[in-house]
Amino acid sequence: MTRYTLITVLLVLASFVVQQFLPALTALHHSRILLVQLVFLCAAVTVGQPAMLLLAFVCGFVWDAQCTLGAHGGDPEIYSQPVESLRFGYSILLYGAMGLLMQGIQPLFKQGKWYFSALLSGLAIFLYLAAEYLIITFVRGNFIFAKATALQMAYTSLLTMLFSPLVFWLLFGIASWCGHSINPEAGKKRRRHF
Amino acid sequence: MKPLNLIAILLFVSGAVWALTRSERTVREIQRGYFAAISPFLKSGSQTEAYARSFLDEVQHSKVLEAELGAVRGELGRLHIIESRYRELERENDSLRHAVDFKKTTSFNVAAAQVIRRQPTTWWQTVEIDVGEERGIGTQLAVLSNDGLVGIIDRPAKDRSSVILLTDEACQVSAKVENSPEVGILSGQRGQFEGTPLLRLKFLSKNAALRAGQRVLTTGRGGIFQPNILLGTIVSVEKGAEDSEALVRPAVDFADLGTVFVVLSNDSPKK
Repeated sequence: MTRYTLITVLLVLASFVVQQFLPALTALHHSRILLVQLVFLCAAVTVGQPAMLLLAFVCGFVWDAQCTLGAHGGDPEIYSQPVESLRFGYSILLYGAMGLLMQGIQPLFKQGKWYFSALLSGLAIFLYLAAEYLIITFVRGNFIFAKATALQMAYTSLLTMLFSPLVFWLLFGIASWCGHSINPEAGKKRRRHF
Repeated sequence: MKPLNLIAILLFVSGAVWALTRSERTVREIQRGYFAAISPFLKSGSQTEAYARSFLDEVQHSKVLEAELGAVRGELGRLHIIESRYRELERENDSLRHAVDFKKTTSFNVAAAQVIRRQPTTWWQTVEIDVGEERGIGTQLAVLSNDGLVGIIDRPAKDRSSVILLTDEACQVSAKVENSPEVGILSGQRGQFEGTPLLRLKFLSKNAALRAGQRVLTTGRGGIFQPNILLGTIVSVEKGAEDSEALVRPAVDFADLGTVFVVLSNDSPKK
């Protein structure tokens, strides 16, 4: 169990590296595959709550280190109404919320129905993006929601979700290598059949 | 709830609060450490993106040629391929000549840079360029192209820097309208990823007498941007109850950014 958790943390860190190789797809409304979020969501459903929260903290912390913008600067007399940026650390809470959402259907995953989790990962990513956008709107004011933004969010969720079976396959492989069962009830069922 | 879960939640919330209360300086230090660690991968990532972009360009190009091949067939088709390749090189040559010329005619000290990565984050309109602290790049330096202002340096690393584009809402520029007493703050608009993004010039006077086509330039006030850098041209004016706002078409084609220049000194530009 401990070995599996440690490897999932390393897997999440590795996904940050791979994410650098995945550009935004301009032809698909600047959508992109959010590999870090996907690996986190898939891993979240396979571990207990403390490990999920550890993963959420690591992901949120590193994600914000990657994406946070600095203050505008300049003379405050001229730039009297600076555009607020998102605070470093907000992603930690978003990842935590997404992780809790994924753990809501952990009983189904434990029964071997991983495809529900795969579908939910797409929904969770859509909610994550929507929450991020709403936070930006809340912080900066002026609710603007263009069709292009909705399409960007939808395509990003869909594209990312398509890769979830691959991530689950990888997690099953790691669990098997560590001698740890991530869906014990499915294992029991299989043994009963034989 | 199990005691272990409760302890985990408490630790998680404490960690999140700790992160949320970090100062700007500490966040910059964290970011510096992160980007230093990930730097070798970023280089490879940028190269992959450049390859992917050139591959897509080639695919698009092939489709055009395919249509022409259907019409003229055989030898003529082959000549078209050679010709198109030649034109691409010619365009590249022209662009580089233009870039070199720009550097000669500007009075301030600039560092030429190539855009190596476009929009690395989901919501911010940023690009990464291939010069960093090694070439004297610091935060909040203006970035220009031959056509006008591109943006501002946000986060310099050792050998690369992140640039917030003028089209991002967070990039505010003190601006004036040519042949008019009007001054305001120009910034990008949220969620404009498609087509040609328009900028918004805010805080103009209530009865601003502006017309489409007037040029918008930097005022030089505010301590970041040098004066008289071209920002764009006015498209339309929206009159409000207390002030007016204008929509501005940027002078720079942000979809086709190649070579850019980071202004290293604060001398006024000639153009």
